[in-house]
Amino acid sequence: MNFYTVPDLLLRLVNGFYPQFFESTSAMIPCKPTGRRVIFLISFFIVSVVNIWAQDGKALFMSKCASCHNVFKDLTGPKLGEVLDKDQYGGDTKKTYQWIRNAASMASSDPYYSDLKSKYGSVMLSFPDLKDAEIDAIWDYINKTYAAGPGGGKKPEGDTATGDKKSNPNAVIFGVISLILAIIALILMQINSNLKKMSDDAEGIMRPDPVPFYKNKVYITLFSILLFVVGGYYVTKGAIGLGRQKNYQPEQPIYYSHKVHAGINQINCLYCHGSAWDSKHAAIPSVNVCMNCHKAISTYEKGPKLYDENGDEINGTAEIEKLYKYAGFDPKNPSVWNPSKSKPIEWIKIHNLPDYVYFNHSQHVRTGKVQCQSCHGEITAMDEVKQVSELSMGWCVNCHRQTKVDFNYTAGKGNKFYSIYEKFHNDIKNGKMDSVTVEHIGGLECQKCHY
Amino acid sequence: MKKPGIIILVLTLALVTACKKVRRSPGRTYMPDMAYSRAYETYASTEELQKAGVSYNAMPVAGTVARGDIAWRYPYANDSAGYANSKNVTNPHPKLDAGQYLEAARLYLIHCGICHGEKLDGNGPLYKGGDGPFAAKPATLVGDPKYMAMTEGTMFHSVTYGFNTMGSYASQLSTEQRWMVIHYIKEKQAASTGGAAATAPLAADSTAKTAK
Repeated sequence: MNFYTVPDLLLRLVNGFYPQFFESTSAMIPCKPTGRRVIFLISFFIVSVVNIWAQDGKALFMSKCASCHNVFKDLTGPKLGEVLDKDQYGGDTKKTYQWIRNAASMASSDPYYSDLKSKYGSVMLSFPDLKDAEIDAIWDYINKTYAAGPGGGKKPEGDTATGDKKSNPNAVIFGVISLILAIIALILMQINSNLKKMSDDAEGIMRPDPVPFYKNKVYITLFSILLFVVGGYYVTKGAIGLGRQKNYQPEQPIYYSHKVHAGINQINCLYCHGSAWDSKHAAIPSVNVCMNCHKAISTYEKGPKLYDENGDEINGTAEIEKLYKYAGFDPKNPSVWNPSKSKPIEWIKIHNLPDYVYFNHSQHVRTGKVQCQSCHGEITAMDEVKQVSELSMGWCVNCHRQTKVDFNYTAGKGNKFYSIYEKFHNDIKNGKMDSVTVEHIGGLECQKCHY
Repeated sequence: MKKPGIIILVLTLALVTACKKVRRSPGRTYMPDMAYSRAYETYASTEELQKAGVSYNAMPVAGTVARGDIAWRYPYANDSAGYANSKNVTNPHPKLDAGQYLEAARLYLIHCGICHGEKLDGNGPLYKGGDGPFAAKPATLVGDPKYMAMTEGTMFHSVTYGFNTMGSYASQLSTEQRWMVIHYIKEKQAASTGGAAATAPLAADSTAKTAK
């Protein structure tokens, strides 16, 4: 039943009997003002009451129920969307009053009780203060929400992620054009030499047989130079690239999208990689950190569509189920989960430094106040993470040369350690230097990173 | 004419293979014995150890106390009796000074604010009034009488072991950090009812500057 039909009808009645009602207020005043006002007031009153009531259902649900119940999902308690349809209730909200006010008192009379207690391991809290009308309002909100379907009947957002596939059509076109031109040039050369031969034959000039191109010294020299340059370029490039992993993007055991977690849902990097603040490693979170949220988030339905690097669509819910398999978690029976039985997920490490390089996350993130994104790229936009920076020594050194150190300790905050650099502080005061870079405080010394 | 054809074919093949978009392999390295550690590194697989018959268990011995943790120890286990007893535990951490308050605020925003909200209103980015992905309504820490009255000990019990849909934060926050965050929550609750004059962290900040 739609609550808005009654006031709507009233408004329509008002409009039907007094068509000038909404046309102008001046016309309204002289003819029968009181009657119209009364009807108007009544309809206004009904509209406002209905609004308050409808809102109350949601507000009450949010404050009393939502921390344990969801309309569509089993959480600490069962999903509420289907509860009223049970045989013993038959859609009648009155039969739920006693349960809600004192669930433990239902132990003998409700067949449903022992099932629930064994499944969820606890009994619902009592809400003796809830009035009949308030409980009805809550059920009304639940029924409406359930009828609208998950996500409020809204369709999921369009796939904005597909625009990422970058192929450079210009490069292909240029390649094809140069190939065609090269073939035309070769054909023309052949025609030219044939024509020349024919004209020579016609004129009766005897020439020695032309040297074939693979014996022609000019051709051989040009070809060797070309080979040397091109080959040298690729050999050098390959040699420099040995041991570097830029763009490395391994396939992970679970399709975990940083875009969804850190981007759309705004989870701080340090929520999962907290040890980047405290230690050398930006640790990979253990399964229980994933389960902090995924105990309650068992489906992927509200975010944009996900695609892997081959353009195949990813089923987010199936990926969450992979996590449940590692965790040994059964979403239908959440109360029996034992976190200590979960198995580690073997994520593949992407950013690898050789063993002879020392790198410390805490030193950069906490002391140096470097943002994660300055080395790891725009993580919040990456579905599958890849290595964005080169992680080569030149790359490190460049940054150490350019990055300015926050020397400003006197303001009460800042790093007290830097106060020992008296000479630099004096030079800054005397105007001899305007800022101190990491290089100045030893950021380029070999043994800082290699020892 | 056959040879240029072959050369063109080889070059195109080389170009096509060179343009493979996704790099799924880490590639090779000059001196593997220098690049890869012989010692066991963080997250290295312990499979080899087990094969060699070495008994390896990543868990600390029962009763282990982490360094510096002795002052913050919490006596109760993760069961309903522990939860009931937790309300008698008081916060062993001294009141936060200005620096500690900032640190506690940082920890709260990273680990708690995502659900419980920046304003402690139980409406963080993961819930967004029911529009976010998190299915359960997070506790309204400031405003809900239940949580305003909750003792520090019970809060600590819930943060340490998890409660209902909330998970355990013992692996993400050290014992001291958990007590600090609880101080932060209690100060915010006190501030909401106007009883904040005693702590007033922002005022303390300016005095700390002059003190140092």
